[in-house]
Amino acid sequence: MDYGISGRVAIVSGGSRGIGRAIATTFAREGAKVVIASRTQSNLEETLAELEEIAPGRVHAIAASMTDPASVDRVVAEARERFGPISIAISNVIGHVIDAAKEGSGPGAGTFEGMQTEAYREEFTQLLVSSWALARACVPDMQQQGWGRICNIGSGVAREPSTHLPHLLPNVVRPPVAGMHRLLAARLAPDGITVNNILTGSILTERNRSYWEWLARERNTSVAIETQDMTQRIPVGRFGEPEEMAAVVAFLCSDRAGMVTGQSIPVGGGGSAHL
Amino acid sequence: MDLQLKGRLVSVCGTEEATLAACRRVLEAEGAVIAEAPPGGTYPEADVVIAVGTSRPGSDVLAVIDPADLYSAWDDVTNAVDAYRAALPRMLAQQWGRFVWVGSSQAKSVDAEADELAAVASLGMLGLHKVVTGEVGPRGITANAVLRGGAATDEDVADAVTFLCSAGAAYLSGITITVDGGTGSAIF
Repeated sequence: MDYGISGRVAIVSGGSRGIGRAIATTFAREGAKVVIASRTQSNLEETLAELEEIAPGRVHAIAASMTDPASVDRVVAEARERFGPISIAISNVIGHVIDAAKEGSGPGAGTFEGMQTEAYREEFTQLLVSSWALARACVPDMQQQGWGRICNIGSGVAREPSTHLPHLLPNVVRPPVAGMHRLLAARLAPDGITVNNILTGSILTERNRSYWEWLARERNTSVAIETQDMTQRIPVGRFGEPEEMAAVVAFLCSDRAGMVTGQSIPVGGGGSAHL
Repeated sequence: MDLQLKGRLVSVCGTEEATLAACRRVLEAEGAVIAEAPPGGTYPEADVVIAVGTSRPGSDVLAVIDPADLYSAWDDVTNAVDAYRAALPRMLAQQWGRFVWVGSSQAKSVDAEADELAAVASLGMLGLHKVVTGEVGPRGITANAVLRGGAATDEDVADAVTFLCSAGAAYLSGITITVDGGTGSAIF
């Protein structure tokens, strides 16, 4: 199927690893001009080299924080200068990691009883302000073209907060992010711009994999044993691959999906409970 | 009906004076005692904490220029969290407590009257309430929201808030009651 995005300029934040990298790769294969941005230079270089093989001359990488609005503006300006007006914006920023030094701590770990409000603010910056800033910076180009695709890589907890894991922050901030994209969709529909949000379920990214590996080491078990319970809770009976996430995002960003906007779409093998 | 609120200490916080006053009035009529938190402070003796989000009619996320406006909406959430957490130790000790947030019905239905910043803040509180419910729900503490829309009066809102504080609402937690006169069109 021709997705109709050949030649379009796409920005993927957090594009050097995991889901972001899978999305960038899919866009590159579909003929788009792809700009990836993330904080870690070494990850970026490695991913850029991979992408260059698929799409020589059509990829660019920028090392930058995608949570600071001024920095996001600079990334978008550089992307525009390099390839032209932006058509597709993927926001894909992970949440605030409370104790980065502690292996396996994961983003947003903490409880209501223990969490200080400063951390709520930090998570708000990471997840909401970042995606707002990217949309705001790209929307004028999209409006001018009368065509645009904004997609946020969110989390299933936006609709069904996980209460069995002590990860308070995403549970509190993911729903506002999903809601904000729904509201942006309503505002931007007349301009030919769609805005959607992915409710990410159990996808086996590198980050997820290293979490399970860490847990297995901690408990002196194996990844298979640690993931068994989780796998049983996923109706399709397995974790998803980042490429499966990328396939959905690519469709949403395609020319074919112009009528799909304002949606929060679960990609989690049927693991969501809401109707 | 006896709502069993006699003598319960209630702390109300937020900047929406008229809504706060209506909540005080209706709860006092049920025998609750309104606790006055120091300005900008929290009240750790409260049995009931009611946090009312600031309404910013017509607010539009896309039109926001300064991120400070986003943070200002988020301050409503962190202020509510501060008020909730201040009261939590006592609630845990007595195995009874009520948290109620008053926010915007646009958090559930995009065709509600536009107040996008209030919707964003409210969605944060709805997520928080699920966490609170999972964490301290088994200890007699509930966390619910009243989402205001349409032409709801302050009394309409205060009545729903008061019900959520009552003994009869003990099995409701992590839920929302939309008080919008039926104007929102979403089923789920």
